[in-house]
Amino acid sequence: MVKISVLQHAPSVHLPARPGDPTPTTRNLDPLMHPFARARERNRALNAAKMDKLFAKPFVGALEGHIDAVEVLCKKPGSLSAVASGSWDGGVILHNVSERKHIRRIQGAHKGKVSGLCFAQDDRLLSCGVDSKIKLWDASPQDDITEQRPLNEYPGKSAFNSIDHHRSDPLFATASNIVQIWDETKSAAISNLTFPTSTETITSVRFNLSETSVLGSIGSDRTFTLYDIRTGKAERRIVMQMSSNALAWSPTFPTNVLLASEDHNLYTFDVRQLKTPTHIYKGHVAAVMSCDWSPTGLEFVSGGWDRTVRIWKEGQGTRPEVYHTKRMQRVSSSIFTADARFVLTGSDDGNVRIWKAKASEKLGIITARERAAIEYRDTLKDKWKHDNEVGRIQRNRHLPKPVYQAAKLKRTMLDTRAVKEERRRKHTCAGESKPNAERKKMVITEQT
Amino acid sequence: MEMTNDWTVGMMKRLRVMMRLMRVMRKKDEASPEALEELQDFLSKLDSTDDKKRKSNDVSDTQSASKKRRLMQERTEAGDEGEFGVSVRGSTALKLDDLLAPLASSSALTTLKKSIKVLTSTSTKTKTLSAPLPQRAQERLDREAAYEQTKEEVDKWSATMKRIKQAEHLSFPLQAQSEGRVSNLELAAKFKPSNELESAVDNLLKSAQLRDQDIAGTEALKMAHLSVEEVAARRAELRMMRELAFRADKKAKRIAKIKSKAYRRIRKKQRERLGGEEGDADMDVEDAETRLKAEVERARERATLRHKTTGKWAKAMQGREELDVDQRQAIGEMLERGEKLRRRIQGEMSGDESEENESDDEEQDVETIKQGAFEELAMLNASDVLSADIKSKSVFNMKFMRDAAERQTREADAAADDFLKEMGGVEQESDDDACGDRPVTEGPSVQRVGGRVIYHPGTIPYTKPVDSHASETSSVTLQSADLVQDSPKNLNFISSPIISSPTQESNPWLVTSSSSGPSRKRSEVLVQKGSDALAKSTNKLKKRIAKGGEEKERIQDDAVLEIDADNVLTVLEPASAPAVINTKHELKGKRKEKPKNDSVAVRISPADADDSDVHSEVDEQERTLERKRQRGKGKGVTAFKQRELVSLAFAGDNVVQAFEDLKQSEIEADAPREVDTTLPGWGSWGGTGTKKFPPRPNLIKKIAGVEPSSRADYKKAHVIISEKRDKKAAKYLVKELPYPYTSHAQYARSMDIPVGAEWNTRVGFQRGTLPRVVKKMGTVIEPLVKAS
Repeated sequence: MVKISVLQHAPSVHLPARPGDPTPTTRNLDPLMHPFARARERNRALNAAKMDKLFAKPFVGALEGHIDAVEVLCKKPGSLSAVASGSWDGGVILHNVSERKHIRRIQGAHKGKVSGLCFAQDDRLLSCGVDSKIKLWDASPQDDITEQRPLNEYPGKSAFNSIDHHRSDPLFATASNIVQIWDETKSAAISNLTFPTSTETITSVRFNLSETSVLGSIGSDRTFTLYDIRTGKAERRIVMQMSSNALAWSPTFPTNVLLASEDHNLYTFDVRQLKTPTHIYKGHVAAVMSCDWSPTGLEFVSGGWDRTVRIWKEGQGTRPEVYHTKRMQRVSSSIFTADARFVLTGSDDGNVRIWKAKASEKLGIITARERAAIEYRDTLKDKWKHDNEVGRIQRNRHLPKPVYQAAKLKRTMLDTRAVKEERRRKHTCAGESKPNAERKKMVITEQT
Repeated sequence: MEMTNDWTVGMMKRLRVMMRLMRVMRKKDEASPEALEELQDFLSKLDSTDDKKRKSNDVSDTQSASKKRRLMQERTEAGDEGEFGVSVRGSTALKLDDLLAPLASSSALTTLKKSIKVLTSTSTKTKTLSAPLPQRAQERLDREAAYEQTKEEVDKWSATMKRIKQAEHLSFPLQAQSEGRVSNLELAAKFKPSNELESAVDNLLKSAQLRDQDIAGTEALKMAHLSVEEVAARRAELRMMRELAFRADKKAKRIAKIKSKAYRRIRKKQRERLGGEEGDADMDVEDAETRLKAEVERARERATLRHKTTGKWAKAMQGREELDVDQRQAIGEMLERGEKLRRRIQGEMSGDESEENESDDEEQDVETIKQGAFEELAMLNASDVLSADIKSKSVFNMKFMRDAAERQTREADAAADDFLKEMGGVEQESDDDACGDRPVTEGPSVQRVGGRVIYHPGTIPYTKPVDSHASETSSVTLQSADLVQDSPKNLNFISSPIISSPTQESNPWLVTSSSSGPSRKRSEVLVQKGSDALAKSTNKLKKRIAKGGEEKERIQDDAVLEIDADNVLTVLEPASAPAVINTKHELKGKRKEKPKNDSVAVRISPADADDSDVHSEVDEQERTLERKRQRGKGKGVTAFKQRELVSLAFAGDNVVQAFEDLKQSEIEADAPREVDTTLPGWGSWGGTGTKKFPPRPNLIKKIAGVEPSSRADYKKAHVIISEKRDKKAAKYLVKELPYPYTSHAQYARSMDIPVGAEWNTRVGFQRGTLPRVVKKMGTVIEPLVKAS
């Protein structure tokens, strides 16, 4: 008998062990066997960066319905799709974002503009307007979506600018020329928290999301004020260089508050240390009109007078993602959806627009392979962001011409100012002391 | 107002009734029969008042008030003074204290008294309260305090925020940090009796002093003053107890083992008989492997020194009076280890020795296997009998325990008998014979002692079983050390790879020197200018010369070979010192016009040589080869031949000169220069008599180039560093160090490793590309919630 030796193919080596498992691949992991790994990866990173730009189609759709400019947007806590928008025409529309339909449409909810909206518990909606009224609406889906009668009405003494609901209790706060706390069941305000020396208009008030008894408000007297309903007092106030237009509390970092300022910048403050902002976010070329944190607390969106929407990363003060369309006017309100994937903006043109939070993200089902590829591309982009070409592509933003020109002008002005300051320091006694840090200039005083 | 008045009156009444009831009850406690009657009496009265009250609810307020007043008057036992009634006619006026006297023992009253002390104090110096602050100042203070409060409250989030900030991966919606598993110990430590049963059990345990801490306490107390010997004694005692408890089990197990082993062997024999002989070779390999493994194990054991009591630490421990828990544990470990080792040396590694005799199975046949099995059984029985009379004064002497033990023993015995019968019924008496003739084996005998195979010619020497006394564990190492010497040769070779030989040769291809003695001396002086390594080697050289073996020198001379007298590539090998050479003196004589950097030295630093094991290994091999060669032939002859060979091989070679020329040309090519781009015949007149103009400056092109003095390889004679910019490589360079990195090397390392699936394992790829923030599609991400 002759012995025959045969080549054996054990199927276990080259077939997946179970159906659905990835096919086992055998690769030589010796780095010496891959002399061009670096070059290939760089090329892939470059391609990834290009693809990112290529597939950047952030605009998803617009929700129509308002006759006049959209002033305020608010999302329903715990819901992905329910969003209410209030307009300058006094109308309030409750949208279903995922179906792009109206759940409720209240024409003339207020006389004049609807200045504030927020959801109360049990599917109810609170709105306030410049007609010094607060109205409580039923927000549950009904057959007749144009049902007009409010559930309750709370009279006020002056025009309201903002309203916000407590996260768990049946309390809400309003901002007019004073900050008031209301109980849903009572017709008059239960307390007044206004800072004693404050005389100007309060433009916005917001409850902290995690530390639920803490409130913040901003006013036209360039102030940010901190309140606590447990102590029942306005506790501290800072006066800044310019007034703020909007504020938002971070959902994951409860001490952080974000202010959208008139001076084109956004500021985050730690309420434990109000003397200096923790970060300055520079990018807008006109006043920032609105801001909102992503539910992750790691990103936020801002809408500006410059007709752009910008998405920022927490802690990264420059180069935000910029969204714009030809027909979008001044953005007066912007919010993140509850799953942190979309951004909604309301603008002067009367539309509520839906944007992707990540411009090149693919909507729809993503297979595991696709996801792996996406993650790989992201990793490569991040790894090679210091590379000249890759970085340039990533940094590049296409801006509408007016915005670009405004940015250029602004840069020129700031540069000139910097040069002048430098010269002043050089030739006067001002140069003997250290220059003040930018952050320290922002807060004028901290008042107790 | 009226309503409240009525209500208070009613309450007062009810209160009074209650007080009364309580007093009556107290009286009843003192157990007087008339008290019961009194109670009944009282209750009947109570009912009537209640009825009246119910009726009075209907009538008008004033009326009811008047009625009540009347009722109260009725109820007061005016006149007779007693325990429950105080008359105004008493000798002393009624005070508040008198009323409060029955409550004197209650703590509430004392606190009340304290608080009203200020009010009741009769001292004249009662201070007036200071005037309140102005409202604004007061409010500011309040606000500041409130802010501090809020800050404190908010600050409770800082740990969470920090965790989120520093998290490598965040998966939204965020999950609360898992508390981890709770161990039994933790639970026990936290345990507090909550219900009746638990508290009862706890009380019982407490009274019996059987709770964990009590037990630990007593144990610690008992163990505190024990020496090592005492600990060993206690262990032995415990072991004895265990032994007594499980003897029968053990025996049954052992019988089963013998049985299965015998079966297995017989079966193997049969198979071998059928299958013929094959695979001897791999057996050998395996054997070698196991031996190697055993060696390694032993070395490890010795390295730890945990098995003997002669160590420094062990001695220190013996001196100590009281030991803490850790030390006791350590002693226990030591003893255990010693025990284990001793057993291994004795070769009685219980239970695991099944493979021990495999190697000498081959010459046994089935009969002998059976014999062996029977014999083992017999031994087992014998030992059983021997140890049966060991008495213990404990529970094991009780009747039921003994009965049970006996029953188990009987079962085990029965199993053994069955096995005997099955195997062919050899009587136990004949086992002695078998035992007697076993050691007589022919040829070289193989003995295994604790993972070590010893080959002896002839019979197996008698190995003395080491005593099991703990104090003798020290001897264990000695014995094992002795055993090592049996086969030292191969080990020795491995353990000391560096064998210094005086006849080392450095590579003749790279070494040059003049063969004369004085030149070497000169080189010493020169060498001292150099680095430490050089100095060292010089020292060595000196010593060598001092020793001055004539032959050695000759060999060194031979080893040193001239390639080119002028240009020299020198290898300074730290290990082989004699090869340190410099040829400066020659240069001085011959070529003074050239600067000093014409000797191209490639130096191997000693550290470098030590570091690379590979290098030393290669050297080792070379040396051994050399030694062999030298042993074979006359040394002089070899050296001569080599010299000739090398000079022949490199006859027309002028490497160093060629290198220098190359470098010079490179420098010139890179140097800044001016190129005249004038096209002849353009822009000027030709022909005879025309004046020749100097080239116009705008047509002279200046090429910046690199100044020779600013080159990277300036004054580095042995290298050429190209100054040309590699455009393709420039793509991968960054101008400045990117932000999070703190050093160039760090960044380079991070960029070195590719992340793709082609260059990583699947899991590595997945880990490497895992994004920092993962959001679940279509899930609401709620803000953080404060845990209540």
